[in-house]
Parts: sequence; structure tokens; C-alpha cells
Amino acid sequence: MSAGARLASEIVENVGIALDGLATHRLRTFLTTLGMAIGVMTVIAIIAIIQGLNKSFEAQVSTFGAHTLYVDKWKWMTLSDEWWQMRNRKRIGKPELDAIVNESKLATAVAPTSRAMATVSFRDRTLSDVRVEGTSEQYPLTAGNTADRGRFLVGGDVEAARSVAVLGFEVADKLFADAGGAHAAVGSTVLIGSRPFAVVGVMARRGRMLGMSMDSNVLIPWSSFGRLFGARRSITIAVAAEPGQLEALEDELTGILRRVRAVPPDKRDDFTLNRQDQLLKIYNQLTGALYGVAVGVGLITLIVGGIGIMNIMLVSVRERTREIGVRRALGARRRTILMQFMIEAAIVAVVGGALGTLAGLVVAQIVALLSPLTAAVTPSAIGLGLGFSAVVGLVFGSWPAWQAAKLDPVEALRYE
Amino acid sequence: MPNANDLILVSHLSRSYQMGVEEVHALAGVSFSIARGEWVAIVGQSGSGKSTLMNVLGCLDTPTAGTYTLAGSNVQELSDDARADLRNREIGFVFQTFQLLSRATALANVELPLIYRGVPRGERRERARQALEEVGLGARTRHRPSELSGGQRQRVAIARALVGAPSLLLADEPTGNLDSATGEDIIRLFSELHKAGHTIVLVTHEPRLAARCPRAIRLSDGCVVADGPGSEVAAMAAARSVGT
Repeated sequence: MSAGARLASEIVENVGIALDGLATHRLRTFLTTLGMAIGVMTVIAIIAIIQGLNKSFEAQVSTFGAHTLYVDKWKWMTLSDEWWQMRNRKRIGKPELDAIVNESKLATAVAPTSRAMATVSFRDRTLSDVRVEGTSEQYPLTAGNTADRGRFLVGGDVEAARSVAVLGFEVADKLFADAGGAHAAVGSTVLIGSRPFAVVGVMARRGRMLGMSMDSNVLIPWSSFGRLFGARRSITIAVAAEPGQLEALEDELTGILRRVRAVPPDKRDDFTLNRQDQLLKIYNQLTGALYGVAVGVGLITLIVGGIGIMNIMLVSVRERTREIGVRRALGARRRTILMQFMIEAAIVAVVGGALGTLAGLVVAQIVALLSPLTAAVTPSAIGLGLGFSAVVGLVFGSWPAWQAAKLDPVEALRYE
Repeated sequence: MPNANDLILVSHLSRSYQMGVEEVHALAGVSFSIARGEWVAIVGQSGSGKSTLMNVLGCLDTPTAGTYTLAGSNVQELSDDARADLRNREIGFVFQTFQLLSRATALANVELPLIYRGVPRGERRERARQALEEVGLGARTRHRPSELSGGQRQRVAIARALVGAPSLLLADEPTGNLDSATGEDIIRLFSELHKAGHTIVLVTHEPRLAARCPRAIRLSDGCVVADGPGSEVAAMAAARSVGT
């Protein structure tokens, strides 16, 4: 009989022996499996929630427009030491906008945006701290979102500085709660500050990003915004390009802006070209450490489960010392005994791991239902759960198994 | 002196243990040979070294000096794995306390040596069943040890020892935990096995049992003090214990 065939039959026999041993101590097996399952459950739930968060963040970020650069005085999600430097930058305004519109060959749409917080009211309903954004008719092309009721701003609104407004979904929904909801908004007149604006449309709903509503804004023509809040504010210019042209656009805009803003060749850019993937990068930086800690806690739970396995396996080896002696006398090699106990530990770990994976996915779904967090179930998370538990079983099972394998057969047979 | 028919050849065999600072010589230069088909008792009082000799003969323990040849293999030169394989092929153990796996059925207990030899399941079952029939337990294959009497348990153990067709049956006080009538049955079974051609080494402290064997080797303080027909060795031992 070949060595390979002998090994294969030994594995089959050992699985049977291990199952038999586990079945004899049902309660003990159950508790050990439970310990393992809790550990894996924790890891799986944490990973599922983290992946869900990441996924929803990515989905939200993608609404910024994947092929758009945002020319801004400020870098998004900046750190404090850069903040002072950017605070002293020259504002971005009409000269930059005109230069980009006239000179850029790669830009497919250009939309300026100024922002201010203001009070918006309709009859006796008032919303304070609403984000009012002054922009142009090209905004939908750069933002990937437009009005789905009424219409968006048109070129004429901007040129004539008309007092017209497109409401974010949440603003419309809240202001017109008594008047029949967002449907009733189009055609009404709202007050921004104290000035009346005719509502011409309501934006499609975008949802929340990092717990913040993306729908609580009001869009008005850029020219009207200047009259309302003054034209001296720094603006953001959203510039869209064809897919795959973002890098080239970045180079082109950098050239145009450095010239218009007269940046000497030896100085760094005094503006920032923001893009959505940069948000993702910073998000990952900020949350990576937190996730590390969360996964670490899960792993510690898993290790505790592993120690449970080791403990029970040591008891099992002690109890079955005579059995080990008999098996050795009848011709079992050390390796065979080692395998027998390793397989027993691995079975407990993998069964625990499978149950834990299942429970973890359930917990993740419950968390997703009860909180604003989302949970994503990926095959890799399941593979990770089962893989982790198998590794834990083998690692923590190996010490007791080695204790069993190195027993002296004479001593083992005499053991009471 | 080596004979082609020798199954066991033991030459100047010693085994000593370190007990603290003191060295204890459990076996102090033992030499003998056992031919195939012999039935030999190894007899001696407790502390005479017979348990140590039994462990060495069973390839469970290794000598500190001297040589032990079993079925042509020089045991003291073998690795741990090779000794495990040798035990599996050449030796069938019968213990005083039976040493059956309590959770396993009689059949599963008898199958054990064949598992470690890699015999396929179906053939294993069949051979285990036959072995149980040979010892008169053909109707008890599904019973667990706790459901069997002492004599039946020892028969299961003997079936387990026989199932792999080893060249040596090594029995350690096989009647020690049995009442005299049941013990007598077991000795009769050994006698039948001897007649069928099996080589049997029976370790015991009872001269009465040694007297039943065609040949006995008496140990005292780790040395062979008598080697001859069982009845003579037993009589000598009895005379000595009366004399002192």
C-alpha cells in the first residue's frame, strides 16, 4: 500500500474517530463550538459592517461625478496644518471661470458653484441653515444629478439673474409638508432670506453620505446668488471631461489656472483640483485605523475561542491517555495520533466557524436594520470566517495534539 | 547460535532507569531465544524485571544495551515509526486489564490493528468478524465492552491480537483480572492457539500458570535464573519460596 493511500485512509479513519469522540462529549463539544462561533461571529459581523460602510460611501461619492474635477481654494477633508496655508490663498472667481470656459479643450461642461447658508421659508414653515448654492445650467452635467420634477436652471436664468430656485428633495419635502409634499413645490414661491424666489424644479433624491443629507440644498442662478450674498466669495468650479480624460484635464487646468493666477514657476499651486477618488483615499486613511481596532477586537475574541479549544483538547488528551497508549501499541505512529487530535480540533473549529459565519451575517443584517449603517455580505467575508476558524483550530489544536503524540506508550498504557 | 527458526533473539539485553541520582537496572544482561511455534512463560515476582522485558519484547520500550531481534529486525536500531509498524505487523498484545476502547463495539475494537495497517474497510470488517468467531464471540460483535463479561472482554482482546496474523502473541498476566474458571478458559484458548502454530509469550507472576507452558524463563533481579520446561521451572520456584 502506497504512503499516499495510507495517509488518505488514515485521514478518513481519523475523521470518524474524531466525530465519535466529539459525539461522546456532546455538551463539552457544544460549548467549545459555541466559543469558536462567537469569535467568528464577531469578526464576520465587523467585517460585513465595515464593507457595507465602505460600499455605501463609495456609492455616495460616485454621485459627485466620476469624470469631474472641482477647482477650489480648499482641498477636501484637509488636515489642520494645511488649513492655514489655504486660508491665505487668493479667492477663485470669475477670471478663472472665464479662462477655463474659453481655453479648456477637454472640458465637456463647466459649472461654477458658490455656497452660503441661509434661511428658506414657505408660508409659516421655515428651514434654517439650508445650503444655498449659486450655479449654472451646466451643473447637472458635472454633478450627475438633475431635477426630476419641473425643470433645472436654464441659460436664460443665469444671464438675466432671475429669481428662480431648484429645491433639493429634502428641502421641498419639509417646506411643503402641509401643502402636499415635494410635488406641490413647483410653481410656488419661497423666501431665501427675505427675497422671494419662484420654484421651477425639485432635484432627484440622492440620499445620505456619512450621515449627512445630500438633499438639503437649494440651487439658484450664480448671478442671482451674487446679488443675494455678494460676489466676493470664492467659488468652486466643477469641470467635467470625457471618461478617461481626467488626468489630461488635470494637467490642462493646472496650466490655465497657474497662468491666470500668475503663479511663479518656482511656487506651488495656490489652488486645488479636487476629485472624488481623493475623497475615498482620505476616507480610507481616516477610517483605516478605526477598522483595524475593530477587527483586532474580533480577532481577540477568536483567540479566546481558540484557547477554549486548546483547553478542551488538553482535557481530552488527558482523559484518553490510555486510549492513546492502546492505539500506539497496536501500531499507530506518532503522526497518526497527532493527526487524530488535530482533526478533532479542526472539526470543532470549522463547525464553530460555519455557525459563527452564519450568525455574524445575521447580526450584520440586524445592525443594518436597526441603525443607519449598512452591511455588505461578500463571499470573501465568508471565506475569511471559515479560513480564520480552520487556522485557529489547527494552531490551538497543535499543542494538545503534540502532547498526545509524544506520550510514551508504556506510560500511557499504565495511566489511570 | 542464531537459528533460522528463531523468532526472538535476545542477547545481553539491559534496561536501566535513572531514578534521581540512582541508576536502577531493571534488566541486567538477559540472553535467550524463542523459536517460532513455542509457548513460553516469563515468570518472576514483581520487581524481577518481567514487565520491563515484556515492554522491550513488545517494542514499546528500547533497551539501553544489548540487542533484540524480532522476526529478523534489529529492534534497537529502528525509528519510532518503524517500531510502530513492527508492532502492528508482528505483535498481538493481550493485556491484564484488556485495554479495549470502551466506546467502540467489539468489532470496532478488533478492527483497530487493521486500520493502522491500511486495510480497506470491507476486508477489515470481514477479518475482524472471523477473528471474533475464532474466539467464540461471533454473536457479540455489536456489543460494547461494558456489555460483556470479563472473560468475553479478554476474548475480544485476543481476537484483536490475532486479527493481524502477527508472528508473536504477547500476553501480560492475561488471567490476572479474571476468576479462576474464566482464567482457565482463557488458558485453554491459548493452548489451542499454540497447537494451531502460534508463538506465544506469556508474562505472569504465577508459577502455577508457568507450569502449564512447555517452556518457562524465570527472572529475578533483572537476570535469567532458570530456563527450561515450564513444570520444572515452576517447581524450582516453588521450592525456593518454600525454602526461604
